[in-house]
Amino acid sequence: MKNSRLFLSLLIVSLGCIADSKNASPSLHGAGDDKTGYDTKSYTTNSKALTTRVGKEADLIAFIKQPPLGLPPTPVPSNNPITVEKIALGRKLFFDRRLSLNGTFSCAMCHVPEQGFSHNELATAVGIEGRSGRRNSPTIFNVAYAKTLFHDGRDDNLEEQIWGPLLAHNEMGNPSVANVLRKIRSLSDYHGLFESTFNKPLSMETLGMAFASYQRSLNSANSPFDQWHFGHNDTAVNASVKRGFQLFKGKANCIACHNVSKNSALFTDHKLHNTGHGYQISMHQRPKKQKILIAPGQYIEIDSDLFGSVSEKKPNDVGLYEITEDPKDRWKYKTPTLRNVALTAPYMHDGAFKTLEEVISFYNQGGVQNIDLDHLMKPLGLNSSEKTDLLAFLNSLTGSNVDELISDAFAAPVGDTQ
Amino acid sequence: MISTQTFTRLGKSLKGVMLGSAVAFSIGMAALPQQAQADETCMSPYMAKIVGQEDYVYVWTLGAVGVGDEQDKLVTIAANPSDKDYGNVINSISVGGRNEAHHSGFTDDRKYLWAGGLDTNKIFIFDVHTNPSKPTLHKTIENFVADSGGVVGPHTTYAMPGSMMISGLSNNKDHGGRTALVEYTNAGDFVATHWMPTDENLNGAKKSGQFADGYGYDIRVLPRRNMMVTSSFTGWNNYMMDFGKLVGDAEAMKRMGNTVVIWDLHTKQPKKILDVPGAPLELRCAWGADKNYCFTTTALTSRIWLIYEDDKGEWQAKDVAAIGDASKIPLPVDISISSNDQTLWVNTFMDGKTRQFDISNPHAPKQVFEQVIGKQVNMVSSSWDGTRLYYTSSLLANWDKKGENQDQYLRAFDWDGKKLTPTFDLDFIKLGLGFPHQMRFGSNALYAKAPSKSVDAIIASLSK
Repeated sequence: MKNSRLFLSLLIVSLGCIADSKNASPSLHGAGDDKTGYDTKSYTTNSKALTTRVGKEADLIAFIKQPPLGLPPTPVPSNNPITVEKIALGRKLFFDRRLSLNGTFSCAMCHVPEQGFSHNELATAVGIEGRSGRRNSPTIFNVAYAKTLFHDGRDDNLEEQIWGPLLAHNEMGNPSVANVLRKIRSLSDYHGLFESTFNKPLSMETLGMAFASYQRSLNSANSPFDQWHFGHNDTAVNASVKRGFQLFKGKANCIACHNVSKNSALFTDHKLHNTGHGYQISMHQRPKKQKILIAPGQYIEIDSDLFGSVSEKKPNDVGLYEITEDPKDRWKYKTPTLRNVALTAPYMHDGAFKTLEEVISFYNQGGVQNIDLDHLMKPLGLNSSEKTDLLAFLNSLTGSNVDELISDAFAAPVGDTQ
Repeated sequence: MISTQTFTRLGKSLKGVMLGSAVAFSIGMAALPQQAQADETCMSPYMAKIVGQEDYVYVWTLGAVGVGDEQDKLVTIAANPSDKDYGNVINSISVGGRNEAHHSGFTDDRKYLWAGGLDTNKIFIFDVHTNPSKPTLHKTIENFVADSGGVVGPHTTYAMPGSMMISGLSNNKDHGGRTALVEYTNAGDFVATHWMPTDENLNGAKKSGQFADGYGYDIRVLPRRNMMVTSSFTGWNNYMMDFGKLVGDAEAMKRMGNTVVIWDLHTKQPKKILDVPGAPLELRCAWGADKNYCFTTTALTSRIWLIYEDDKGEWQAKDVAAIGDASKIPLPVDISISSNDQTLWVNTFMDGKTRQFDISNPHAPKQVFEQVIGKQVNMVSSSWDGTRLYYTSSLLANWDKKGENQDQYLRAFDWDGKKLTPTFDLDFIKLGLGFPHQMRFGSNALYAKAPSKSVDAIIASLSK
């Protein structure tokens, strides 16, 4: 049904993973200090020890050469053919905190491996010196297939994209390309690595190629859905998942934006849409009262102005309009993939929704009315049972190699000042 | 037992400096002035102390964008009324970068001041003995994270015999709250990392309640009870974030510490984890030889908690008093216990108030005084005789009040037991310095040549 096509389009962001599917949830996934149930008096900690956060190096190039079931061939640019050495170098760079201005921030501080290569603990990102990001850290699972990058789609090339966060004032904060390159040249553990990997020295180009090569290897699929839908294993998912998929491509018409092809599925149209969520955040006043969780199971309600004196002015966010300056692009954001969506809470471009249930409810009500609302955004009329089935389907999209990718990331050295 | 007379004799040359709490602890507390309450009482018992007039206040100050040279610095204030520069800045040494300057602590010989940066994880070691009026940067530890195996956010730098124990706040894997204690020699060499107990690895500790979060914040010790105690705050993601943004982020607000851990001081093994919900921050232990307890306050739930050893020798945690109107989150921050264990100063950041509690019954503290110090207030330090109080304003760079509510100061007062009388007031913005955080005292007499006898020599002289 056309009317709900966008339904999941943003929902997309990443939902939770419970799944009625046959595959167990990834055992390595999850924030190290699990806060499940923190809002109840009965909360008990379930914290993991950092000393056991160790992993095993994976054969990452295999995920590029033979993508898991459900993914199409991995796009690899002709000027950056994939090699084991490039992936290894990109992986080293990805976890190197020295690459930020003050040596405190790597890519992995926002794209935390065990948090869906996104950030489950923060609605919106925090950069160096605590500088505020406006948006939720998107997952980089399957980023190899992304034709648009960032929530506002401002970039389209993985080899070049890295310079955005490296130079952004509120991310890694480096003042210039030259400064980044100079710093890496000064680090003895990088001496000779670019030369041996690329047959040419470190440069703006080779740095981007290395980063892209690692990120391109984070392909994740062969989910229970893939095993059923593409692998024709009828027992890979249960009936609820199957009903959910029928809703996904039928009554809810999520598929209109979260595309599924004949032999593979990326669950995105690579386009940007206005669902009304961004409009609501920009145009509506915040509530006068705010409920705050001050300890496990202990809430208090305060005047929203109480913390005005310690708050910076919240920056506005107009989405794609900030790139095109076309009024019709106001509050348009990228359709994210739904693969591994169960692992990448919170959802939407600003992490406003904590659960997939909240996301489904948002789309079920047709988003938020505004003059530029995508014409597909209309109430879906899903009943409770249908929403449950849709959720089961979303939870069936978790790839079978997630643990392997997380374990590989755990095995990567974290770069800190020696 | 060491006598008051003995200290009087020593005092002529020490001029207000009491050598080594090790002496005081091993021999008894009789030499302590009965009404003393001081910044000194908040520091390690393994340290020489200033018992007379402090000459200097060292202020570990955050650099701020748009203010002066925009970088962190150690600022020295002349604090002796006899000094011609009394009440003025007499030295400032910039260290480069905004490191999230926070807490500092002397080595046990009090010759060096270790000052940590919660963001960059650097530890700046200042020489404060060669010329106490003009500290110099002696050494910078830049590889704290690598040394420690991933600990981020060096917070309390606490003197142990010949070494420094440093509490972390975070880690380099997820910038969350799981962290460790890290030990260095006084020379600045890494010794060991002691991870906070988690559910997965309690490391022998007993999880006495519902929580074992693995978070850290402050450290204190009671050597005679072979006890070390730590509290818990939050990780880098939260303490570096804009405060208003944090309060509005429901997931982030779940990442707050709810534990106090009791350790075996000698083996550095955690023994018991106590539930203290709401981010317990500063820890202050009683000094009396028969008083086996410490206090902490919870930032979010606005309570005073007593950490005490019961009749059976078990350490317990007890919520003993409210601080202000909890529904408005006054946010208790720094606290200071008197050396006679009778009173506790408690500052609340949001309303800018200092409060004094009568803690003569530690199980039932009662507020006896309160006054607004500024639009915000964080740290409080008191002279040894309790008649002089110093307040600074800054909590964290991105938690401090902004715009028209910005108020960054060091304010000094005389305290007569009933009221605070202003003595001097330094506006750290107008002076182009930054945001002042922790204060530590300096004294010329600490480093006078004549009294530099070892503790053994003092004890030997007493035995004659």
